[in-house]
Amino acid sequence: MRNISLIFKQLTRSILLVAGLAVCGLNAHAQADAAKGEAIFKAKCTACHKIDVRMTGPALGPQLEQETDDAYLTKWIQNNQALIAAKNPKAIKIFNEYNQSNMTVFSELSDADVGNIITYVRADYKKTQAAKAAAPAGGAAGAAAESGPPSNMVIFGLIGVIVIAFIVILVLNKVIATLERLLLRSKGLLIEEEEVTEGEEKTPVDRLAGVKKALKNKKLVFFIIVCGTVAMGSWSWVTMWNTNVHQGYQPVQPIKYSHKLHAGVMKMECQYCHAGAYKSKIASIPSLNVCMNCHRSVKTESPEIHKIYDALGYDPATAKYDSTKAKPIQWVRIHNLPDLAYFNHSQHVKVGNIKCQTCHGQVQTMQEVYQYSPLTMKWCIQCHKRTEVNFKGNAYYDNMIQVHERLKKGEKVTAALLGGIECAKCHY
Amino acid sequence: MDSNKKYWKGLEELNKTPEFVEKNKHEFAEPIPIEEILSGGGLSSKTPRRDFLKALGFGVGAVTLAACQKVPVHKSIPYLIKPEEVTIGVANYYSSTFEGSAILVKTRDGRPIKVEGNPNDLLSKGGLSASAQASVLDLYDNSRVKDPKQNGSDTGWEQIDQFVKSQLASVAAAGKKIRIITSTVHSPSTQAVIADFITKYPTAKHTNYDAVSYTGIIQANQNSFGKAVLPHYNFDKADIIVSFGADFLGTWISGEEFTRQYVSNRNNKSLEAKKMSRHIQFESGMSLTGTNADVRMPIKPSEEGVALVNLYNAISGTTLPGSKKLANANTDKAIVLVAKELVAAKGKALVVAGSNDVATQILVNAINSLLGSYGTTIDLDNPSRQYAGNDAELVEFINEAKRGEVGAVFFIDANPAYDYYMANDVKEALKKVSLKVTFADHVDETAALCNIVAPNHHYLESWGDDSAIEGYYTVMQPTINPVYNTRQAETSLLIWSDNAVKDYYTYVRNNWNTNLLAKGGLTGQAGWETLLQTGFVKVADVAAGTYTFNKDLNAVAQTVLNNSAKLADGGKVELQMYQSVAMRDGKRANNPWLQELPDPVSKVTWDNFAAMAPADIKKMGLDEFEVVIVEANGHKLSLPVLSQPGQAPGTVSVAVGYGRTAAGLVGNNVGKNAYPFHSFRNGTFQTTASATVKATGDIFPLSQTQTHHSYEGRTVIREASFKEYVKNPSVNSGKEGEHQTFSLWDEYERPAYNWKMAIDLNACTGCGACVVACSAENNIPVVGKEEVGRRREMHWIRIDRYYSFNQNGEAKVDGRSGKVTQEKEIDKLENFDNVSVVHQPMLCQHCDHAPCETVCPVLATVHSSEGLNQMAYNRCVGTRYCANNCPYKVRRFNWFNYWNDSRFDNYLNNEHTQLVLNPDVTTRFRGVMEKCSMCVQRIQAGKLKAKIEKRPLADGEFKVACQQTCSANAIVFGNANDPNSEISKALKSERTYYVLEELNVQPGIGYQVKVRNTSSELQA
Repeated sequence: MRNISLIFKQLTRSILLVAGLAVCGLNAHAQADAAKGEAIFKAKCTACHKIDVRMTGPALGPQLEQETDDAYLTKWIQNNQALIAAKNPKAIKIFNEYNQSNMTVFSELSDADVGNIITYVRADYKKTQAAKAAAPAGGAAGAAAESGPPSNMVIFGLIGVIVIAFIVILVLNKVIATLERLLLRSKGLLIEEEEVTEGEEKTPVDRLAGVKKALKNKKLVFFIIVCGTVAMGSWSWVTMWNTNVHQGYQPVQPIKYSHKLHAGVMKMECQYCHAGAYKSKIASIPSLNVCMNCHRSVKTESPEIHKIYDALGYDPATAKYDSTKAKPIQWVRIHNLPDLAYFNHSQHVKVGNIKCQTCHGQVQTMQEVYQYSPLTMKWCIQCHKRTEVNFKGNAYYDNMIQVHERLKKGEKVTAALLGGIECAKCHY
Repeated sequence: MDSNKKYWKGLEELNKTPEFVEKNKHEFAEPIPIEEILSGGGLSSKTPRRDFLKALGFGVGAVTLAACQKVPVHKSIPYLIKPEEVTIGVANYYSSTFEGSAILVKTRDGRPIKVEGNPNDLLSKGGLSASAQASVLDLYDNSRVKDPKQNGSDTGWEQIDQFVKSQLASVAAAGKKIRIITSTVHSPSTQAVIADFITKYPTAKHTNYDAVSYTGIIQANQNSFGKAVLPHYNFDKADIIVSFGADFLGTWISGEEFTRQYVSNRNNKSLEAKKMSRHIQFESGMSLTGTNADVRMPIKPSEEGVALVNLYNAISGTTLPGSKKLANANTDKAIVLVAKELVAAKGKALVVAGSNDVATQILVNAINSLLGSYGTTIDLDNPSRQYAGNDAELVEFINEAKRGEVGAVFFIDANPAYDYYMANDVKEALKKVSLKVTFADHVDETAALCNIVAPNHHYLESWGDDSAIEGYYTVMQPTINPVYNTRQAETSLLIWSDNAVKDYYTYVRNNWNTNLLAKGGLTGQAGWETLLQTGFVKVADVAAGTYTFNKDLNAVAQTVLNNSAKLADGGKVELQMYQSVAMRDGKRANNPWLQELPDPVSKVTWDNFAAMAPADIKKMGLDEFEVVIVEANGHKLSLPVLSQPGQAPGTVSVAVGYGRTAAGLVGNNVGKNAYPFHSFRNGTFQTTASATVKATGDIFPLSQTQTHHSYEGRTVIREASFKEYVKNPSVNSGKEGEHQTFSLWDEYERPAYNWKMAIDLNACTGCGACVVACSAENNIPVVGKEEVGRRREMHWIRIDRYYSFNQNGEAKVDGRSGKVTQEKEIDKLENFDNVSVVHQPMLCQHCDHAPCETVCPVLATVHSSEGLNQMAYNRCVGTRYCANNCPYKVRRFNWFNYWNDSRFDNYLNNEHTQLVLNPDVTTRFRGVMEKCSMCVQRIQAGKLKAKIEKRPLADGEFKVACQQTCSANAIVFGNANDPNSEISKALKSERTYYVLEELNVQPGIGYQVKVRNTSSELQA
């Protein structure tokens, strides 16, 4: 019986599966054009177009709703330049509207392909419009709920309420205890309690005697004092040495930027944003136009990205910049080298070929960046003493290597040996 | 070795005054008042214990509180949209122009921080004067006018435009005169703008005038040759130069250019070719040029005319009517000998005179014509445009205004209410003008009398161009957005004259496209961009023609002699006004770098004074710095007196350019205004007068740095005559009789670099540009007059000026031997006229066996493997032992936190001027020692650039700041490990010696013996 039911179960499952697949297939067949169109759209168009929002090129949904002449559209998509060259008035108009920037020519797309794209775009736009129309009220409510993270006021308010509630509970407990005691006393049951306190008073006398005995043991006392001194001393030694060392410092930044995502998942080169590291003493925080290279079209809906837009005075709907509204983003500096120390990124990154991670840690795994290295002079010098100089292919060192090879007979040449730990290499 | 020759920096040192001896015993002027506290009421009274406890309590609390904040939050604010050409932390250089010289402006992160010479500049080939170096600081001057003003209150540009245009319309309708008063405009585009303005308002007229004028020369050339130009002088083509009071190495016309030319005949290269020019200077006050002369003859201003007439007579062999002998037989004889030398060097001789008197300059023209100078040493066909002022036109303007004929006046870079000799006349005159507009960037003396102040941009904020010499056009481009709400004067004029082009940049572009680009073989946009990179175009010179003077000289000589006779009014002293090298005409009086630059000759900072001959001072019984009342031309001025060796007896010299009352926070009431002593005669301003000097008994101490750093009488200067040098190039360089030295220390390798410096004492003119360049490069604070008086100036490089008595021969001076070899003889000597001067730049010598290093208890100063003496400021605890032990006295102690102390607010400590700081150099805190680092930031940057480009470091690839600005190329710096480097060659010169080398501190700076082309005949 068991076997039969098992087989039955499997059978039903597979029948359901096949049936499901068939239904899906039918559905898929019905939308074949649009699906193909979507694939091509995603491959070829999304770099410059979105369906409902204007980007480099126009928002295609409204555009295609207006423009119903599919033959013209096909021509335009396949070779817009030919249309412009032929001075087609519609083509010229849109060409001028978009600052005369050329759209890529897609002569490889067949008429059917283009038709698929158009079908997809229209269908998708209709769907989104319908969704918008269906839930205007819900949308508004959702928007209110989503209006950014809870403010500090809310958090403090909540904490305050909890604290007050806790105090109330404590007070109430106390009141209950007092009332209980009163109740007990009235019933004549309080003697027990007194007995307990009497018993407790005897034990500390015994304990104190033990302490007094121990105090008389001079060796023990000496040992304890020595231990205490050593412990305190080493604690203050460590504390003092680490005064103003902010290893692990992780301030809250105005934008929740994730290095893990950008450098780790996306595998972006550090220099893409910190371009100064190769050229200058300062690696530099990227200016916002660097962010906008991608974020004009990537994750445009994110509230964090909108902080960038706000800072730039950029309106994603019109793709226009309003410099009067612009206000720079105030990042919090994590690595604060004192002014008395001169540090040059390009010397280390470009000349020395030092990986960023050597000093900054595995930034590609950090959601939020923190100060990985102590940035103390000891730390600098230790590295200069250990690190071999990267001579290879750098004609600058030609004269010096000879001297040093003579000097050191094949021993390794560190930065320190080339004067890398002398005062005026960093302090001037 | 000429070890007997005595060099001294000041009379107090020479005479060993008790104050000098006492001061010299101590390293620092004021000891720390420890004894006062210990012995005085300090500890016995009741408060200290309580105060101590209070301070302790407060201290502990404050420290605890301060420690609560774990990490100071520093904001890091990136560009919103970064300009493509800016890399944060990397300097950009833009070509521009300063007073007609092509320059490079170093900007960091969008703000100019240093001005450097353009190495291809026609005038000084990369050298820059102290004022050019200091000009960048003016940009951040927070006493600049920050908004346009109408009747003294701030307003907007639109209101100003409306008001000025309506006023101009009514002035034009009434047919009244419009005057544009400027200091010489040599920018072609500005000239065009003014011309366009005049086309729009035909009653307008443009008047150039210069506070210190060259009208005399221009009119003399008009008179002699029919060319009203300021000639272009070629000092490099002259084998013999005779100057009558022209300070051509300092303030006369084009000091930097002339320095470069002059030194090319006297530097190491020239000496090795056994060639040296001879320079003879006749002058009253000791000028920078006078200190460099081979032979210097002090003469009174009134003797100048007589001497020139005599010189003409001696050269031409004729006798002009009225000629007479000079009172001083020596000088009289010298004139004849000079004439002989000049005639012998015909075609390679040059006579110049500083006078602004037309007749005197005609006489000089006649002399130069006889000597065949025109076409060789003097070029009238490619003239200088640097000064084109016409004194008579300014006087005429004031008269017109007084008569009420002028309806509107515009002042561009002109301040007649300060520098016109009758300032009250200007006040009276301006009262009768309805529209008075000044483009001044400060509310200066003239601006206070104007109803409109339309502040002009600083030149580093401006577009423009310039032309200092005919055929040489430089371009000016902005390096920063305007710091304040200012507008370029030219733009204002374009707007007010309803020009078709309202934007001055477009105007400049158009002017270059149509007129100037083609001259340099450039066209269009590409041509303009090339121009912005190179900075200038140069049209090939026209061949300089020869000119012969053939006018009648009798009347001229008569005028000259009459004027001289008037000046030599019996019983009175003769007053001479001059420009000091730092302050010049006073336009930059609000620049603290220039105020604190010690005058090259007197070494006085922050003041002007009445310079008198030591003999005269003794005769009058004046004390040091006693205030005297100088009275001339009906004007009185009380000034401290300064005993100036070399000053002609019977004369007193006063610098103009001081005594500003509305210059700004820094420059107000520094010194006294000497312009009222000027007078107007025969169409030009005169800078001499006959005066009386009265003692007052008051003392006004001057902050004079001359004896601040003493060598305790050790020999640091080595000097030879050209004759001796030709016989033996290593003469007096101390190479004979070398003594054995022993070293206490191990020798260290210099595996990669060995940075050394060589300074040619024969090239250095002592101008002081390096001091300002160093201040700009290394964030050196300005300390002010009081602190300089306490010997606390912070300059890392100083120019020591040494006097010595002319050692020549057995000449009798006051009946005694002129050769002074022993100190006891000096005491008896009363004639201080005949002194010669040597300038010696002194900076950290980066000794291989540095005495400072061994005494530092905390190892804050140690040696690098590249031969540098390093100073780690944050290691220094301020014991000052190093300064005590330094034989060269080049270490400077930070007595205050100059960059953050309200007492120094007037100088560099405010949020505007701090923008000029070099971000690659730390500012030093109170209590630490500092000194020359050999611009280690430049060394490191140079090395890094080579490393990044993967190539060896080339010689001369980078220059240190002092070397870079030196027009004379007196300083060579480089890697002595490279046998082919300039420095190795320079140090191998036979003239090289090391200061105090007998101490075996092994200094890293070699000096080259000063060679003087003396003449035994002349000085006899």
